[in-house]
Amino acid sequence: MVNVNTVYRTVLYILNKEQRGYLTPAEFNKLANQVQLEIFEKYFDEMNMVLRMPVNNSEYADREKNLDEKISVFEKDGSCLSTTPPNYSFPVDLHRIGSISYNGKSLERVSHSEYNLIQKSPFTKPTTSFPVYILKGTFDSTIAPLAMDVYPTTINTNLPIHYIKKPSEPIWAYKKNAQGGFIYQEAASATAVPATGSVQFELHPTEQTNIILNILMYAGVIIRDPQIVQNAAQMIAQDEAVEKS
Amino acid sequence: MGLITQTNEEYYAGQKAYTIIQGSSQKVFSTSFDLELELSVDGVSNSNFNLEYSTDGINWSNYIFVNPTVQLEISVDKKTITIPSSAPAIGSTTATTIARITLKDYAKWENYGGYQYISFEDIVNNFLVAYVGEDKLIPKVKRTDVMFHAKRGVQEFNYDTLKSIKSQELTIPPSLSLVIPQDYVNYVELSYIDSSGVKHIIYPTTLTSNPYTVPLQDDEGLPVEDAFAENLEGTSLINKAWRQANQNNIDGQQDWNNVGVWDWNWWKLMYGERYGLDPQYSQSNGWFTIDEREGKFSFSSNLTDRLIILEYISDGLSSDLDTKVPKMAEEAMYMHIAYAMLAGRQNVPEYIVNRFKKDRRAALRNAKIRLSNIKLDEFVQIMRGKSKWIKS
Repeated sequence: MVNVNTVYRTVLYILNKEQRGYLTPAEFNKLANQVQLEIFEKYFDEMNMVLRMPVNNSEYADREKNLDEKISVFEKDGSCLSTTPPNYSFPVDLHRIGSISYNGKSLERVSHSEYNLIQKSPFTKPTTSFPVYILKGTFDSTIAPLAMDVYPTTINTNLPIHYIKKPSEPIWAYKKNAQGGFIYQEAASATAVPATGSVQFELHPTEQTNIILNILMYAGVIIRDPQIVQNAAQMIAQDEAVEKS
Repeated sequence: MGLITQTNEEYYAGQKAYTIIQGSSQKVFSTSFDLELELSVDGVSNSNFNLEYSTDGINWSNYIFVNPTVQLEISVDKKTITIPSSAPAIGSTTATTIARITLKDYAKWENYGGYQYISFEDIVNNFLVAYVGEDKLIPKVKRTDVMFHAKRGVQEFNYDTLKSIKSQELTIPPSLSLVIPQDYVNYVELSYIDSSGVKHIIYPTTLTSNPYTVPLQDDEGLPVEDAFAENLEGTSLINKAWRQANQNNIDGQQDWNNVGVWDWNWWKLMYGERYGLDPQYSQSNGWFTIDEREGKFSFSSNLTDRLIILEYISDGLSSDLDTKVPKMAEEAMYMHIAYAMLAGRQNVPEYIVNRFKKDRRAALRNAKIRLSNIKLDEFVQIMRGKSKWIKS
């Protein structure tokens, strides 16, 4: 977890160092969410790349292990709820499906056309020992965008799921002092904006620098300072070059 | 922790007992049987267990019989029985009660000796864990593909490697035919049983055949059709003749005192006797043929009312209960699946495929030797007759 106040203060410090400009809490919150999602979504492509690279077995420099640790922060257990068999709904904070099980037996994902084929063969027909699921969209903005059909239809209990959750939106909450300045407000409070209080970045603590640089890059765009954008982009590129070489 | 999970009580006695002290009651009964508890077993009974209770340990009452409307609940893993909230719990305010879950006989028999087998489910899961993944020869695979090859493997192994001989004790009715068993793939041996319980092999014969169709014919020999333009079928006269045949005329078991050898037509008596009886027909155990038209075994007339044993092979997949593999053939199963997976993939070097082909063959040979059950002591006992003089 990365403290949202530390990030905001650092960003402000760098931006204001030479009186370059100011980033309001509302602007910061928007950028924070954008950056967090951007970094988070890169993990999966990076993992794919790391898995194809030569491996080492060191304690702290194993890229696969380190990346996996960063992803693990978002791993969560939940429940898929049975609606009308074979329909199931997913947890609302689902980002990527890990594994779904029934009575300790893993469900295998198949496409609709595969299902049509496998259910015709007595050898491959889904059973309670080897169940399968088909993904489909819900087209309902109030629930998770994905749903699934589980086969065989004799399965009608809620199913445990292990998944990657969507990162919560980071929020730097504040209240105003007498001079109109923004005071950081961590806990929920009626006077805070928003009243629910602050929400920290959920990314792994090692991502603090990365978050700050990325926010700075976007902040440079907002305050129209190409030097900030250029410097931040250069530093991010350097970081990535070191990480991926 | 070892692989055995059920207690001695569960294995040997086929039961799990619970002591419910006086004044308390119990609704949830957990077990650790290897087999799954079932509320309904197709074609066998309503359930494969009984939930009973007693206050003296002698007289037991079946819970289901007390309240027939009660439908017990079984957990998803099929190990725990729960009495529903609408039904009374087991327990007494006046005495300590013993409750027990007892397996019915057929379930108990199925449980006995179960340790020598590994389930099909375990085979598939073990294969996925050990042979599929990053840095392995098979990096990714569809589980349904593994299931397919595993089941095909079970079938193939059942034909000639596994101990899959099934048998039925039957009596031959006056119609001289018996229906082929539901899970029949091929016969191993048919024998009639004498009064001492000793088997006498009944041989298949080519002396007769069972016609697949028996169309009725008109005067010109053409098939006669019904109102739906389909050929009319009659009964087989060949079968009728075979059923009515005097088997002694075939096997040579004649009453030689009244054989009438001086009669001018004496040579018609027995099949091939003129040039000496053909040894393949000189046995009195009887004959059978397979009537594919009716899906039945047909027997010769001397076997009416005989007690027989029909030994046959199945493919091991006739029901879920069947689908288990002897541990002696476990490695052969993994090798079979691995070879089948690699052989069916593109871009797998041929030397890898060949390596697994050899591994499969070697593992299968090992399994066959192990399952042949050749024991040195038994072999020695059979060989004791090697020096016995055979007088001619």
